[in-house]
Amino acid sequence: MFHTKKPSTMNSHDRPMCVQGDSGLVLTTDPKPRLRWTVELHERFVDAVTQLGGPDKATPKTIMRVMGVKGLTLYHLKSHLQKFRLGKQPLKDFSDHSIKDASALDLQRSAASSSGMMSRSMNEMQMEVQRRLHEQLEVQRHLQLRTEAQGKYIQSLLEKACQTLAGDQNLASGSYKGLGNQGIPGMGAMKEFGSLNFPAFQDLNIYGGDQLDLQHNMDRPSLDGFMANNDNICLGKKRPSPYDGSGKSPLIWPDDLRLQDLGSGPACLEPQDDPFKGDQIQMAPPSMDRGTDLDSISDMYEMKPALQGDGLDEKKFEASAKLKRPSPRRSPLAAERMSPMINTGAMPQGRNSPFG
Amino acid sequence: MAMAIDGAKFELDFSSYSSTTTTTTTTPATSTENDHGCNWNDWSPMVDWEALSGAQDDFQDLIDSMMDDGALMNQSIRLTVPDTSNSMSTSDTLVVDEETSCSDDLKGLRLVHLLMAAAEALTGLNKNRDLARVILVRLKELVSPNDGTNMERLAAYFTDALQGLLEGSRSIHSNKHLSATNNGPYHHHHRDDPQHHQNDVLAAFQLLQDMSPYVKFGHFTANQAILEAVADDRRIHIVDYDIMEGIQWASLMQALVSRKDGPPTPHLRITALSRGGSGRRSIGTVQETGRRLVAFAASIGQPFSFHQCRLVSDETFRPSALKLVRGEALVMNCMLQLPHFSYRAPDSVASFLSGAKTLNPRLTAMVEEEVGPIGDGGFVSRFMDSLHHYSAFYDSLEAGFPMQGRARALVERVFLGPRIAGSLARIYSARGEEGCSWGERLAAVGFQPIKISFANHCQAKLLLGLFNDGYRVEELASNRLVLGWKSRRLLSASIWTSPSDPDL
Repeated sequence: MFHTKKPSTMNSHDRPMCVQGDSGLVLTTDPKPRLRWTVELHERFVDAVTQLGGPDKATPKTIMRVMGVKGLTLYHLKSHLQKFRLGKQPLKDFSDHSIKDASALDLQRSAASSSGMMSRSMNEMQMEVQRRLHEQLEVQRHLQLRTEAQGKYIQSLLEKACQTLAGDQNLASGSYKGLGNQGIPGMGAMKEFGSLNFPAFQDLNIYGGDQLDLQHNMDRPSLDGFMANNDNICLGKKRPSPYDGSGKSPLIWPDDLRLQDLGSGPACLEPQDDPFKGDQIQMAPPSMDRGTDLDSISDMYEMKPALQGDGLDEKKFEASAKLKRPSPRRSPLAAERMSPMINTGAMPQGRNSPFG
Repeated sequence: MAMAIDGAKFELDFSSYSSTTTTTTTTPATSTENDHGCNWNDWSPMVDWEALSGAQDDFQDLIDSMMDDGALMNQSIRLTVPDTSNSMSTSDTLVVDEETSCSDDLKGLRLVHLLMAAAEALTGLNKNRDLARVILVRLKELVSPNDGTNMERLAAYFTDALQGLLEGSRSIHSNKHLSATNNGPYHHHHRDDPQHHQNDVLAAFQLLQDMSPYVKFGHFTANQAILEAVADDRRIHIVDYDIMEGIQWASLMQALVSRKDGPPTPHLRITALSRGGSGRRSIGTVQETGRRLVAFAASIGQPFSFHQCRLVSDETFRPSALKLVRGEALVMNCMLQLPHFSYRAPDSVASFLSGAKTLNPRLTAMVEEEVGPIGDGGFVSRFMDSLHHYSAFYDSLEAGFPMQGRARALVERVFLGPRIAGSLARIYSARGEEGCSWGERLAAVGFQPIKISFANHCQAKLLLGLFNDGYRVEELASNRLVLGWKSRRLLSASIWTSPSDPDL
């Protein structure tokens, strides 16, 4: 039961503060006085709804009657009921959502409908979103490190195997021909697929750079910076783009696979060639132009809008102070992509990113 | 399956295939249109078609699809030089380019139908070994494991596998026998030198790893779950069912070493199961892996020790054979996905998992191939499912690396081929048994799911993002991530823990 109190007037502060009115309702003092759904109030609400037979059966009018709280208007109840209906999951289920679903809008919804979260402010939700983003960046960084470690390990395996083979071959035939099968399928297989002399780092750089220039207008400097971070471990993997019609594999292996690239190129978290990949792009059409070093990883960070994108843009702006949408054409340089946190927030690891 | 130009002739041809005893010699002078070498005119009527008429429905579909093919075939046939060469490749080169893709599809479709017919003949209602043999012979002429489209190469391995089944079932019908012969004519040259086989395997593994996310998906998902489960432990003990080259642990060690806040780097102990005999799971190989892991761990400063647990000859895992240390967090790791040759001994896997249950580990990681809907559970439906499954694999590799045909052929030869043969053998001998996944079995015996964390899911998505767009990851259950290609689910990674039963 709310006990009436003298309303404590508060001067306007930076953040919306709450006052308790006569009816015991908590209202905010920002320019638009909004009802604060405290835990107690929400519990009453839930009680009333249950009494009335569930959120689908209950109507704002009946709820109002049952709750009997003064000052509570139909308008308040309508919107609250709608949110309640839409999703009664508590915020912690947010972790179950796929990354694509982790749009700010979804957060608001799931937060808004959860009983425990009703009292959270927008700020807290912003924090949640940013926490998620940060986590994703961490994951990305870890992924790269782990991939590198794996590559290093495999490299040692290959070297060992190569030595063994070389030893065998010397014993067996006495002549060490580079290519050709010579009846040693193992060696042949490896030679066939490229030299095992892991190339100089520069070679790979050039190779990768050319490749990317072909497809992404990516600046060399950023790529170099990226590669420099990764020593010479890698996957040599570049993402092909079956959709842009180039058809050929970005690996440009002359005839076939080159093992050298496999063993020791930089771990490339390559940009995705096709930024307009389905609905992940709806959120931010301006940013997803070709020619920017879009990362597939950045797509992961995109909040897929649960609903239409138009309303969403505004919410994005509200949600994150950092979310400034610069001009649609963004330079491929990594640094510039830092600002739109939510959108493509993720800085691909190693791209001159302060997240290092 | 001769494609007759004349519409009226369709009836005749296909009716001969399905129900009447008229042979196929009544085809018109279609020597000019031997649809890519499948010249049925040359077949003497040794097969009693009537005896095959049991499953008429299947053949009706077959007929319909062929009739559809016929219209398209007309155009492509006109362009072929009217010689009666029987080789696929000749006709291939003669077909004009714009017809190629559709004729590829047609060829593929035809191969599928042939395979299905062979499978049906082998095990269907009207089993007919001879028919199966005939179909397989025909298939062998049409396909090669090294050339042609995905479907053709895939069909080559399936043909091979079916051949193995055909021959194997004639002799002593045992699983082990089948798996010994499963490699077929395409693989025998590897048997003589284990070292070279090893290198082939290594090269193919490297390629597989780079061309697709299959390997990493399993490893990284399991590793992430392990990391989270042992976050506060000082000692970790991992029992690995099939360590192979130990690649999974390189990244785990790196992750352990670079944990920022929290306890200092825990001590990692890995016990790998090894089997007798030679080959990739032999004691010698496992020891070698152990040495490499030790060296790697030393290079990054990870406290590490390595042990082997020898399986007895029947490959049953006995938990008592493990050395356990008090206070260590026990993890059971069971990787059954692509590069691991798990099909050989399902009993062994079962024993591993039941042993795991008694040991009460902190976490059990299971990565396996995802099976499709079983259908009626019969051989043919599972066969077709298997065909779709591997076809998706092939497609995924090709989509990513369309030009690297030779590389893919190597991967197919080393990994996919044997796997196909083995899985068909398993299906064949397990007909009628319900084939649920290992994950389901774990749940059935009481393992509890551990939720896949946000970070883990995120990592999987990032990983897939590095590859082709066609890959996707789904969270089918709270503890299960499934990697799929387009609409086909391929790999499943699930995380379990023992029920916290105090009585255990």
